[in-house]
Amino acid sequence: MTLPIETHLLQACVSEPVKPVLDNVVTFGAGHFYISQSDKGEMVMGGDLDGYNSYAQRGNLPTLQHVLTEGIAMMPFLSKLKMLRTWGGIMDMSMDGSPIIDKTHIEGLYLNCGWCYGGFKATPASGWTFAHTIAQDRVHDLNAGYSLNRFNTGHLLDEKGLGTKTWIS
Amino acid sequence: MLHIKCPHCGMRSQNEFSYGGDATVKRPELGKEISDQDWNNFVYNRKSLRGKHWELWQHLSGCRQWIKIQRDTATHEIFKTLKANEEIS
Ligand SMILES: Cc1cc2nc3c(=O)[nH]c(=O)nc-3n(C[C@H](O)[C@H](O)[C@H](O)COP(=O)(O)OP(=O)(O)OC[C@H]3O[C@@H](n4cnc5c(N)ncnc54)[C@H](O)[C@@H]3O)c2cc1C
Ligand SMILES: [Zn+2]
Repeated sequence: MTLPIETHLLQACVSEPVKPVLDNVVTFGAGHFYISQSDKGEMVMGGDLDGYNSYAQRGNLPTLQHVLTEGIAMMPFLSKLKMLRTWGGIMDMSMDGSPIIDKTHIEGLYLNCGWCYGGFKATPASGWTFAHTIAQDRVHDLNAGYSLNRFNTGHLLDEKGLGTKTWIS
Repeated sequence: MLHIKCPHCGMRSQNEFSYGGDATVKRPELGKEISDQDWNNFVYNRKSLRGKHWELWQHLSGCRQWIKIQRDTATHEIFKTLKANEEIS
């Protein structure tokens, strides 16, 4: 089965621990950057995809530099911090940036994929609607819009619509 | 950092380039009846290969030409680069 999905790479990074400065997740909406502080005091940061197809599970520095420039624009004190570690993971980027939770034309095969950057926080709703889809062999109202067929029919979702082509934004 | 050999300018750093996706996707022919499936394959469906992948890049901060690159998506190794109008063999 060919899917409207490409595998891309996303990096995140963590600074050395500092005293409490941030009790929230903060995102930089004009670009793409997010930051929070862990219980141990480290600043946890991330942002854009590296921007090309990759299964490498490791990133490159140009994207980190771009992401951290946004961070420093918002919070200049970040420039004084030492980076403790960076890592990269691979993402199932759907073409419209929204997931697919659906049955397929193959009996007994169900899809829950294309989660892009957001498959962690969506787990409760994703798991619940997927369990319903499998147990009843039909989609729930809540995931009916997240069909594979939307790419065929043009019934796209009222969401950001930014999938693999993040440079368009 | 990727080092990309532009067929027009030579070896340059990744910072000068922007990505354009799978280079093997062909636009359906104009003036013909085109099925929804063919449009779908052109706009959305991708092979997303792990391994050797032909892809488009633009030398945005250089000669501004679009080029084709064969790169391993698991190791980031680059094997070949072609001008946009050269056929992938
Ligand atoms: C750096 C980074 C930061 C992120 N930050 C956030 C965030 O802040 N908030 C958020 O909501 N999401 C975030 N995500 C995205 C989130 O982690 C993913 O969307 C989510 O984990 C996807 O869950 P999944 O169960 O669909 O897939 P996965 O967690 O990838 O699980 C797939 C599993 O299938 C296994 N598998 C693969 N092939 C086979 C095979 N052939 N046979 C058997 N098993 C196989 C894999 O080993 C893996 O365990 C981030 C991702 C990355 C990489
Ligand atoms: Zn060039």
